[in-house]
Amino acid sequence: MANHSQFGFQDASSPIMEELVEFHDHALMVALAICSLVLYLLALMLMEKLSSNTVDAQEVELVWTILPAIVLIMLALPSLQILYMMDEIDEPDLTLKAIGHQWYWTYEYTDFEDLSFDSYMLPTSELPLGHFRLLEVDHRVVIPMESPIRVIVTADDVLHSWAVPSLGVKTDAIPGRLNQTSFITTRPGIFYGQCSEICGANHSFMPIVVESTPLNHFENWSSLLSS
Amino acid sequence: QSFKLLGFLDVQSVPCARESVLYGSLGSLVVGLGHFLATSRVRRSCDFAVGGFISTMLGYWFYCRYNLAQKRIRQRMLKEGMKNRMLFEGSYLDPERKQTGDERSDS
Repeated sequence: MANHSQFGFQDASSPIMEELVEFHDHALMVALAICSLVLYLLALMLMEKLSSNTVDAQEVELVWTILPAIVLIMLALPSLQILYMMDEIDEPDLTLKAIGHQWYWTYEYTDFEDLSFDSYMLPTSELPLGHFRLLEVDHRVVIPMESPIRVIVTADDVLHSWAVPSLGVKTDAIPGRLNQTSFITTRPGIFYGQCSEICGANHSFMPIVVESTPLNHFENWSSLLSS
Repeated sequence: QSFKLLGFLDVQSVPCARESVLYGSLGSLVVGLGHFLATSRVRRSCDFAVGGFISTMLGYWFYCRYNLAQKRIRQRMLKEGMKNRMLFEGSYLDPERKQTGDERSDS
């Protein structure tokens, strides 16, 4: 989850998010180079006397056409690589259905026996000591770590969005439509997210909590819940 | 505490950023000063200094990030290899066991 006054990304917990963070750093470095150039040109212009002597500017026209093209290529190539990488769906080990309601999520694991549950936010009055306000839920989404997980997201009433920033996942939940996304968690842990599409009065109070555990713990949990 | 260059680039937490900016500054100094010593033209030397800063910074950035990406790939392969070694040790898939088995059959 994010710390107070956090401005940057959360630590990446999936390979896609690692790539996104790297691309973001790369884009910022290109932005720094461009800002340095613009600041320098601005300083030059401020020191220059105003004149209208220029009639022919072939060289500068060439420079300010080619340089932006190079900048666009430097940004577009890694961006497209990640975009196509995000669309790759390996054979998933588990399919999870996330259904958005006003104002809670329902999760269905239909690969096993009929395993499904609702996930409501824990009210602040019932929050155990040391837990996170407005982020904890009564039933977490438990998944096995280092396994490709497919999530099918939909909604029951209005638009919602299933988002977990540290996994690099955000998928709209649209009534009457099934949207698919997939991810792999690289390490065990608990990853928090919040509904990311305005859906009414309690839009800020329907969080998502994904718990990534080793496979044997996941099997114990699923057999416990099924019984 | 983080130090953000121009208010947005956190040079301490972004890998390769600090070295890129420092090498860029050094490159800018070398190119700008060198051009001034050669031509005694202040204005043009400043232009070369800025150009030198941008090209050295971006040049080192690409080089460093490429090496970092290769290291990460090798790290992932190593991690996978260690996991597989622990998983297959003693089984018929263990490559070390296969080797000793062949030696025995030869003798």
